[in-house]
Amino acid sequence: MRFDDMTEAIGNTPLVRIDPAVHGLRNIDLYAKMELLNPFGSLKDRAALAMLRPLLPGATERGDTVVELSSGNTAKALAMLAGMHGLPFKSVTNRMKVPEVKDLLLLLGAEIEELPGQAECLDPTDTEDPLTRMHQALAANGSGYVHTDQYFNENNVEAHLSGTGPEIVKDLDGRAPDYFIACVGTAGSSTGVARALRQHDPDVRVIGLVARKSDFIPGIRTIDEVHEVGLFDPGVYDTVETIGTDEAIDGMLTLIRRCGTPAGPTGGGAYQGAVRHLRELDASLTERRTAVFIVCDRMESYLSYLRERRPELFGRPARNNDHRALSDAEVRDAPTIGVEEARDWPGLVVDLRSPYAYQAKHIAGSINIVDEIFDELLHGGLPFSRTQQVLLVCPVGEKSARYAALLHRMGHPSVRSLAGGIIAWRDAGAELVRA
Amino acid sequence: MPDLKPLHLTPRTAPALRSVLDDPALLTQLINGLGSPLNIVLPDLLEANVEAFRESYRRHRLRGRIYFAHKANRSAALLRRLAATEAGADVASLAELQHALGAGFTPDRIMATGPKNREFLWLAARTGVIVNADSPGELTDLADLVAAHGLPRVRVMVRLSGFASQGVQVISRRSRFGVPSRALAEVLDLLEKHREELELVGVAYHLDTIGWPEKAVALEGCLAALEECQARGLPVRSVDIGGGFGVNYLADGAEWERYTSELAQAVLGKREPMTWNGHGYGLRNDAGTLRGVLGLYPAHRPVSGAGYLDQLLGADAPGLRRPLGSLLLDTMYDLDIEPGRALLDQCGLVLTRVLEVRGELVRLDCNARDVSLEEHGVLMDPVLISRESRSDDPAGVYLLGNLCLEADLITRRKVFLPRRPEPGDLLAFVNTAGYFMDFSATQALLQPIGRKVAVYRDGGVWRWCLDEQYWPVHPRAEES
Repeated sequence: MRFDDMTEAIGNTPLVRIDPAVHGLRNIDLYAKMELLNPFGSLKDRAALAMLRPLLPGATERGDTVVELSSGNTAKALAMLAGMHGLPFKSVTNRMKVPEVKDLLLLLGAEIEELPGQAECLDPTDTEDPLTRMHQALAANGSGYVHTDQYFNENNVEAHLSGTGPEIVKDLDGRAPDYFIACVGTAGSSTGVARALRQHDPDVRVIGLVARKSDFIPGIRTIDEVHEVGLFDPGVYDTVETIGTDEAIDGMLTLIRRCGTPAGPTGGGAYQGAVRHLRELDASLTERRTAVFIVCDRMESYLSYLRERRPELFGRPARNNDHRALSDAEVRDAPTIGVEEARDWPGLVVDLRSPYAYQAKHIAGSINIVDEIFDELLHGGLPFSRTQQVLLVCPVGEKSARYAALLHRMGHPSVRSLAGGIIAWRDAGAELVRA
Repeated sequence: MPDLKPLHLTPRTAPALRSVLDDPALLTQLINGLGSPLNIVLPDLLEANVEAFRESYRRHRLRGRIYFAHKANRSAALLRRLAATEAGADVASLAELQHALGAGFTPDRIMATGPKNREFLWLAARTGVIVNADSPGELTDLADLVAAHGLPRVRVMVRLSGFASQGVQVISRRSRFGVPSRALAEVLDLLEKHREELELVGVAYHLDTIGWPEKAVALEGCLAALEECQARGLPVRSVDIGGGFGVNYLADGAEWERYTSELAQAVLGKREPMTWNGHGYGLRNDAGTLRGVLGLYPAHRPVSGAGYLDQLLGADAPGLRRPLGSLLLDTMYDLDIEPGRALLDQCGLVLTRVLEVRGELVRLDCNARDVSLEEHGVLMDPVLISRESRSDDPAGVYLLGNLCLEADLITRRKVFLPRRPEPGDLLAFVNTAGYFMDFSATQALLQPIGRKVAVYRDGGVWRWCLDEQYWPVHPRAEES
């Protein structure tokens, strides 16, 4: 395989059979369309290329910025494509909810703009929401922007109508599957693939999956949000079902741990939704059927999403010298001294506050080790010799007391905490200096 | 498929508010004597609301003052009751300042904010309240007044706006208030020039948004500004983050979700209209696609009030990557806040009388300015109070006002009541003390503005007095 550029690696992803021992369906062959294998990491590579290609000649000539409303995969793909042509890319978003995606986009050189939140004191005469205003700004001639408009751009559908859909039919030896299960985001892939499949066989059953209203599953819209999508046509789907965060994560774990498929939550949701829907049909079937779902993207971008929702997946062993293991009595009995005694402290003074605060005001002669780094140091053992006298200082004397108790437990004989902290020091009129 | 069950939006009611509603004899007597609409405030609930914010301060080990944003309600009783707590008062007009001084707030507990005229500045300077300045011009005016009238040095804060974010650009709506943060140096020059007249004690921001990421950027920007002040030897000590902590109005999140889903369906024409003339509350049907943005207050807000403050203080500063609460504590600054709506949560209701029932149209003896829920985009059902209990099916009705004006609709949506009301029934709009009670009330058409009474618990029963008669030492039953 020899390519001239990475865009040639987009598409032609494999269709992989899921082991029946995993899904437990007896009469249905379940296949996954492995869109996570696209070069920029997701199904959206196809749509991004299809939408941007016709705009490229003009955009490169004018040096326009490519702009899209996306907080995920479309933004990633567009940022890479724009970069290949030396064009800047800007992502405008309501709220980027997944921090890794934000960092990835910045790494790709994208500019990110977050739109303002709703006004607390509502102004009912303000009928133009920030989004509408942005659309108007982009649409103006000579704005310096090209807008790929994924929620309304027919090329988003076309990419799957002529690509993803026919590939599935080809890999099933020229037959369309009996069932196609798709998560609905921009509705581009589900609409395009459904159209292509039905051209072969009008009886293909299409099941759309949306997120439960109060849930957030990256890449899937809720039942209300799909109505805001220009490409969404309820007629495409024989039925629309909802899927929850827990189900999406369960599906994701099955694909990752049993199927050799490092899928993200959208793929997980599609798998789980497919099995849930098909299981009911399976029992009454007398002949073999096939079903296809899409694995949209990869797992790596969603670590914090998973950490928040399934912390037990990341269980870590307890660490040594953890101040949380201290008893209340130990903390209460921590060795402390008052401001007067502290003024004549002969040893080392360690200020546990943030470097930012330390720069502005600190006790003359003190050194700054911010609490989170100090905490890290203590896991490894005593960070100073037993003969070194140490006075710990924090804002109100609470954290410093904990660490003094911990150091005491670790065998340090002469550590003290400043009672009342640096605020007591200030309130007593003792001197503070700038760095 | 259309969901035809009644769409309730049940208000969240605290036990005290509920117990006032459970006393129809009292409510009937009050409205018969004082007319409809009638504003009822519950001053004794304020203490717990102040305490909830203080508890959040304690959790973060922070100090600073909780200023009540007076503009949320004109009531004297509420203000006087607050004067009896530890709270301060945020006043935004000359009359509000007079009111606060008269209610018992000493000047050290008052902050003057908002646009100001010379009279307001003079009284603020004369009494020695903190002036939260909106512009360099205001600081110059104030310094001139102080010099010309030989007044004592005035404590000032500077309201900043237009904070820059790094990496991800967090956009905020353009504000008419405040000094652009990049112009801070010029303001500090000005303050140094007037150091005889003005004493800078801190900086402030107030953003009209419910999104905390914008506020995190602003708070971090204020910390940087305070650092710049310190570096120039100006001994600043506090940051004022304004209000906007919000209130949770609804008892049941599922009702809110169902309502907003169905509203979208109605706008798309997929179910019968739920609103007067198909009003979409900002949503519109654009060739089968839903466009626009729902222009409604998120009436179900599980994280609001003190909880919202907790969330903000727990959030990482985007640049310094340490929780904002820890940074405030580390840098030893006081945190000042100015909640209005959130401090008045559950502290009042508007009572009205049903005048006429014509099919699904119910006319009330008050207008949309007296209960400005619609104007503020807050959807919550009123409570129906009937003299005798009738069992009947729920009824969907539109509530119309008493002005001779097509637009005078108290609700533009169909409200589902437990049964069809009858003339003479009362409707109570609960939890309306913050902004919905008298903020917009006018005497258009010479219709009266509702009178206000304070109710308080005494000897196991509710007692009442006219709002202006209320003092926190109201006579006890055993004494009279």
